[in-house]
Amino acid sequence: MLQKSKRNKKILVALYLAIPLIIYVFSVFVPLVTALFNSFYDWKGGPQKTFNGIQNYIQLFQDKTFWQSFGHNIFLVLFCLVGQVGIAFIFVLMIDSKLVKLKGVHRTFGFFPSTISAVCVGFIWTMIYDYNRGILNWFLNKIGQGDATKVWLNEPGLVMLLVSIPLVWQYIGYYMVILLSGISAIDKEIFESAEIDGANAVQRALYIVFPLIKNTLLICITLCIAGNMKAFDNIYVMTSGGPGTSSMVMALYGYTVSFKQNNMGYGCCISVAIFVLSLLVIGGSQKLFNVLLKDKGVD
Amino acid sequence: MKKKVVSSLLCAAMLVTMVAGCGGSGSTDTNTTPAGGDTQSAAAGTEAGGSDAASGLAYKGDLEIMHFSTEEESQGNGGSDGMRTVLQQWNDANADINLIQTVYANDDYKTQIATLAAADDLPDVFLVQGMNVREWAKQGLITDLTDEIKNSPYSADYNESYFTPFKDADGKIYGFPVLTGGTCTVVIYDSKAWADAGYDKFPSTWEDVEAAVPKLQEAGYKEAIAFGNSGQWQMNSCFLSTLGDRFTGPDWYQSMINKGGAKFTDAEFVAALAETQRLFKDTEIFNKDFNAISNEDAREYYISGDAAAFIGGNWDESYIQATLKEGNEELFNNTKFAVLPQPKDAKYDENGQNIGLGYAVAINPKLKDDPDKFAAAVDLAEYITGPVFSDYVAKNYGLGGLTKVADPDLSSLDQMTQDFYNWSYVDTTPCEIYDSYLASAVWAVVNQDLQDMVNGDKSPEDVAADAQKAYEENY
Repeated sequence: MLQKSKRNKKILVALYLAIPLIIYVFSVFVPLVTALFNSFYDWKGGPQKTFNGIQNYIQLFQDKTFWQSFGHNIFLVLFCLVGQVGIAFIFVLMIDSKLVKLKGVHRTFGFFPSTISAVCVGFIWTMIYDYNRGILNWFLNKIGQGDATKVWLNEPGLVMLLVSIPLVWQYIGYYMVILLSGISAIDKEIFESAEIDGANAVQRALYIVFPLIKNTLLICITLCIAGNMKAFDNIYVMTSGGPGTSSMVMALYGYTVSFKQNNMGYGCCISVAIFVLSLLVIGGSQKLFNVLLKDKGVD
Repeated sequence: MKKKVVSSLLCAAMLVTMVAGCGGSGSTDTNTTPAGGDTQSAAAGTEAGGSDAASGLAYKGDLEIMHFSTEEESQGNGGSDGMRTVLQQWNDANADINLIQTVYANDDYKTQIATLAAADDLPDVFLVQGMNVREWAKQGLITDLTDEIKNSPYSADYNESYFTPFKDADGKIYGFPVLTGGTCTVVIYDSKAWADAGYDKFPSTWEDVEAAVPKLQEAGYKEAIAFGNSGQWQMNSCFLSTLGDRFTGPDWYQSMINKGGAKFTDAEFVAALAETQRLFKDTEIFNKDFNAISNEDAREYYISGDAAAFIGGNWDESYIQATLKEGNEELFNNTKFAVLPQPKDAKYDENGQNIGLGYAVAINPKLKDDPDKFAAAVDLAEYITGPVFSDYVAKNYGLGGLTKVADPDLSSLDQMTQDFYNWSYVDTTPCEIYDSYLASAVWAVVNQDLQDMVNGDKSPEDVAADAQKAYEENY
């Protein structure tokens, strides 16, 4: 009787687990395999496809816009690693300090921007950068720097930086919450004894907090890289990848090729490339992170 | 035990929901709304006024149509309002047919229809853009409707030139041009502001516009003409397409369409690009942020009185008109229309403006398997593009459709509507809308390059070379 009940329970658990698994398979695995399959075809959308071997991949290697977009994604990753995870780490140390009051308020307000949709964030920052009515140019005019005002989102050299700032602003709170949970797991006695031994705040952060939350930090870095390798929405809203292709990122380029140029085969090829390149960047960064920490004697 | 039953039921419910979610997005009689869309089974009849839709069709059952005349869009937009009205009339007159409408906003519609085309899962009846016709015809996604159009009861009234974007190289026609024939390039200007600057009419040359800029600035205008190109398509559709015609003449573009030997790298077209670059980069005619704002933002510069003129399409005109009518009577009364001024070295028709119908009603070839259903779809296409639609939009909005309306009575319409009707259909010469033809892949490249070019980051010659490469690869 007991055994039967256990077996039933197992079936029930398997049934529950099957639901997310089916969703995952249909929404992630199947499209990925389909995209890989279609990437070997000359397919302009519609029932007719012509197998063209690795022609799309050859085109991809020669496609300047794609590699420019990849470069923009790497810029985004580096900028956001410092901006999102780095600043979040500093904020966490500040909030965790004994000197800071109203910690709950800081946590809530810090986290608030990450609850807003990326499209809204894009619109908010488009308004901030607006040439005639934006707060940035208004401020520059107020402080007598009227000559420095610009049509910000029309500056090819600056536009990647400008579309990255909203992403940093939005996600600091997100990583702050993850890192806070990591820090709260550290035994407070370690800090106390370090303080008694005369370690200052920077030393405590570098030699105690940093190594002890290594795994949490690694999660944050992985999430940050994965998130920024597939960045799309706020850039789509703010610049559509422009001016020209100055703020084009891989996902946006894939979308443009697939839906504006109706070149589905090549669009699939770009999607596969995004997947592979993201895996390489994430894997590479994890290896690098482990090597760097090993040098510091952290396992 | 009770808990187990409840869990199993919940589990089953979730699975059913998932399976339903994976199904098509508009095949029910209820008002289910797919992501971003609005599916409605228009069974409930409303009196849309004088329905004389054809009835007596043999087909009984569901007929799907996908379009982008949303209810929101139809508020003030004549084409959308007319479309919704005639669809309702047809539905009322064909009670045995369950017309299932899936309606998206225009941008979403383009993505959605491209996705459905890729999956070979297009609805029975849908709207196709001119630039996709040849490729989709090649793919077998749209039906050759040449005979149906020839045999249509309204064929004598059709404005033949509107069919051109929907023909393939052999002259077969793949759709009934739909909605209203509107301009893509109109100069909307404050006649008082320009009169104060010394121009009784809007200047007919760009030199005169340049000369007017300091006077307008003195009068307090931030910019002479407002323009928005953040979406990248505006520079092409609402500027270059008309300006290019002034340099190349209509034969050049016909040759491009027919692959008759013309090239984007031809000197005349490069000259049009160079002039476009000069006007935006080297003069102070336009707002500095033209590349960072959309046409929707730019028209607000005109409405708020920051700009003395605006360049956009008929959709901008209807918005400006509706907004001014409600909130700024003086500017409403002073607003007039003009064609693009003539560039110095341009040789062709200085009165040209690009006008046409950008979409056509297309029919899924799969319907051919069921002749009755196909006949119903053709009947629907004929009706919603026929004289009832044209009369409705002419009478209520001063707009024109596929069929000609002889001397429409515009007397009940306000002066601005009458002026725009005359400007659009009587006083100006039509020229082609570039991106109604060729291939979307060509225009995606051109539009991106144009944004760089007007910033000065790409030369007109490079833009022309890129365009020609994309043309040769994709058309």
